[in-house]
Amino acid sequence: MNEAFVGGLRFTLDLSQPLYEQVLNQIRNSVAKGEIALGDKMPSVRELAQALKINPNTVMRAYQELERDGLTETRRGQGTFITTDAGKVESIRRQLAEKAVEEFLGKMRGLGYDWPDIERILREKGGETA
Amino acid sequence: MNGCAVRCESVRKRYGSKWALRDFSVAIPERRITAVLGPNGAGKSTFFRMLCGITRPDAGRVEVLGRTPGWRTNRDIAYLPDRARWYGDLSVGDSFVWAERLLPEFDKERAEQLAAYMGLDPGMKAEGMSRGEEARLMLVLCAARRVPLIVLDEPFAGIDLISRERIVSTLIDILSSREQTVLISTHEISETESLFDYVVFVDNGQVALAGDAERIRAERGSMEQVYRQLYR
Repeated sequence: MNEAFVGGLRFTLDLSQPLYEQVLNQIRNSVAKGEIALGDKMPSVRELAQALKINPNTVMRAYQELERDGLTETRRGQGTFITTDAGKVESIRRQLAEKAVEEFLGKMRGLGYDWPDIERILREKGGETA
Repeated sequence: MNGCAVRCESVRKRYGSKWALRDFSVAIPERRITAVLGPNGAGKSTFFRMLCGITRPDAGRVEVLGRTPGWRTNRDIAYLPDRARWYGDLSVGDSFVWAERLLPEFDKERAEQLAAYMGLDPGMKAEGMSRGEEARLMLVLCAARRVPLIVLDEPFAGIDLISRERIVSTLIDILSSREQTVLISTHEISETESLFDYVVFVDNGQVALAGDAERIRAERGSMEQVYRQLYR
């Protein structure tokens, strides 16, 4: 496990899983949760690689993917910044929510529950915490 | 895609009755960091020495930077041998003056920066150095060369934790420039595996497994886990 806290971003890397996906997902999560704000500057590739003790190529790949998603933008000579477009962040947040729901439903179906049961359990639980 | 920095085809090398390498074939990508892992005596150092033309294969073909290893290719390789020692009467400063005259593409200013970062005082003489200090000096002499290939044979052996971390950090800086290929052998797998782009596991003179580090992680787990699977 490599752990680090860099420029508002928290990382925990598991060396038995591909590092690129972990870096990418953890940045996406931080942005969706608002741990790093709209328009904030991201650590440089070198800074993040140094903090996580990982290969700069791995960070670079994750940054490229974030930029393709529209979640970050690179300003020439200034570095990489989180987008100022709240809609982009909202759509990533929504995607993460859908993924969480899919995972949850997958687990429930794996346990043999169908929708009426799942709905009932959710209500009960929701009733408790509301 | 990238080309290859090193290519070996069916290389064989025998010392007396012991095969150091047998049917050793590998292709190592350029501008990446590649780890060569395996137990003592697996053939890692023989492989590295062959890249520098110090040892020749009995059979098979070795290519480094697209050419046969020899004095011409050695201009382009910074090599840190296993169990390396430095000249005792040379200070850090003297070593850099010497290196600037004799080592191709040696960047003295870069060496001085690295030495300061590694906690090496310019006036220190090699004979008064601890093992870790001497190893750091030798690493600086390699890392300060702007050559296409850097070969480090166990740069962490006998080096304390803080010095190891500084070496790792220096390697990350080298990789950030994305111009050099780094080949490294080490037993400090858990500390360094997050750096590797490509990994070659050597066993008994042969390549037991070679591949992209991220793919190995996806298919089999961490390098440390794979090491245990392969050599237990």
